[in-house]
Amino acid sequence: MDARPGRPPRNAVGLRRLGDLPVGLLFSLGIIAVFLIAVVLGSLSFGQDPFEQDLLGRNELPSLDHWAGTDNFGRDVFGRLLYGARLTLIVGLGGVACSLLLGAGLSLLALSVGRWLVVPVFALIDFIRTLPGVLLALVLVVALGPAVSSVVIALGIAFSPYFAYVARAAWRREMAADYITVARVFGAGRLRVLYRHALPNIVGALITLAAVILPRCIVTESVLSFLGLGVSPDTPTWGRMIAEATPLFERAPYAVVVPVVALSLLTLALALLGNHLRKRVDPLRTDGARRRSVA
Amino acid sequence: MTTFLVVLRHVTQAAFLIAGITVLVFVLVRVVPGDVVDVLAIEGGLTEDQAQLMRRELGLTVSWFDQFRAWCIGALQGDFGESLRFRVPALDLVWQAIPVTLQLAAASLLFGFVLAVVVVLCATLWPRSVFVSIVDILNIWSIAVPTFCAGLIAILVFSLWLGWLPVIGNVLIPVIILGIDAAGQIVKPLHEEMKELGTAAYVRTARAKGIHPLRIIAFHVLPSAAPVLLAMTGLIAASFIGGALTMEVLFGLPGVGSLTFNAINGRDYPLIQAVVLFLAVSVILINFATDLAQRLIDPRPEH
Repeated sequence: MDARPGRPPRNAVGLRRLGDLPVGLLFSLGIIAVFLIAVVLGSLSFGQDPFEQDLLGRNELPSLDHWAGTDNFGRDVFGRLLYGARLTLIVGLGGVACSLLLGAGLSLLALSVGRWLVVPVFALIDFIRTLPGVLLALVLVVALGPAVSSVVIALGIAFSPYFAYVARAAWRREMAADYITVARVFGAGRLRVLYRHALPNIVGALITLAAVILPRCIVTESVLSFLGLGVSPDTPTWGRMIAEATPLFERAPYAVVVPVVALSLLTLALALLGNHLRKRVDPLRTDGARRRSVA
Repeated sequence: MTTFLVVLRHVTQAAFLIAGITVLVFVLVRVVPGDVVDVLAIEGGLTEDQAQLMRRELGLTVSWFDQFRAWCIGALQGDFGESLRFRVPALDLVWQAIPVTLQLAAASLLFGFVLAVVVVLCATLWPRSVFVSIVDILNIWSIAVPTFCAGLIAILVFSLWLGWLPVIGNVLIPVIILGIDAAGQIVKPLHEEMKELGTAAYVRTARAKGIHPLRIIAFHVLPSAAPVLLAMTGLIAASFIGGALTMEVLFGLPGVGSLTFNAINGRDYPLIQAVVLFLAVSVILINFATDLAQRLIDPRPEH
């Protein structure tokens, strides 16, 4: 109803809408910055040893020694959080990169090389899409065994259809443009057209989608870990920390709440950033709503 | 005629999908190191001889191809084999689990649907109100907060700190959490669509005729947005079939999700196959129903 162009309308509270809010963006960038600092600190083994057990100081409340308390083995929750940040990032980025390469790579190659490849490739992608996301990742992780690499591959396969569809839409749009026709007329081959001409214009859409998918990868990893099927037990990603602490909820609530809050804040920040990017550069209006629920 | 063709296309696709999924799952579960006998051996301390005997009894020693052929012949006759672990027909276990999941999924979907429609109606009616922010908050919540995190926090707050509800077997909390998650997914595209439809000429005409804005939005605009609403609901329904898994495991509900989880963890091959087949068929049926309903309410050919 409200069709005024320009600045988004202010609502009753006097704030602009949450999604458009520079404050929201600021908040999300702030959290991402804190997260990256945590990754660096964790890599420099700052703080308490994430693996050192102190069986006399189990399930402690937060104190000056242990900023976020200790878990059931007396390990410092804060130290583990810092250490796990890097693994969480690796798994998330790895999953996104894998699905980008797999989904976008396959579909663009098939589209460029020829029709005979398009049909089987997209049949495969539709096939992946039909399976419920967690279920697919679950079966794949079980099949590949518990390791960081198998989680990354499972995430990559489970999320690849999104990239495939977006890549196809972007590719079709670019192929209709004159500069492609010109390139073809000047004798550029299909793959050269794809690589030199179309790809630079498609990459933007793919990167935006990657920003939207990244939080989902992180969430899916935590779901898998929560179900006991993620990375191996001695690699404390945040999902793994939550999973390990859950049975001892009553005695050490901090060991659950701290990673849960950290995870939710991180995914919230990434989701806000992704939404913002999508709104700013979205050339295709790919719906953020078209997500597959993972949990 | 076109409807017939659509049905035909769906049926062929479904047949290929189900065949593909069957083969995939069959191979995948057998690639996994360790079988059901290993799992039982760890639990019950079987000797190597006993384990071998058991494998032979359960038919795990013949080649994969023979196992697959036997399974297919059985499945086509409606016999999905016995659960290796519980020693009852796998199909019975699935049938027992379905009502739990169906109840959970239906209640959550209904709750989410109503919540989404109400919020979007309000947000469209009062475009500068707090409801517009609620739309964004719901949407971002559903992306950012994993349902199992919300579930964990809810258990902590309601059961341990406030002592209100027993946790295990509780249906209310998962329904609310899943409902909010569903609403968050529906709300955004529905709101965008409603805003866009709101600028149409027929809305202005209705306004000029003096029809109440609430009536216009609820009875003129909302029905036009039905395809979007339906598509989203279909997608979410499909995801709930397997996606209620973490909620079921967390809250100890004996539904299809828990069954899948236990079957995969216990390497219970026939049970995994039966459950996955059931899940795949449900998802395909839901997609099919959504597509068909889509064509019924919006008979224009695809634009």
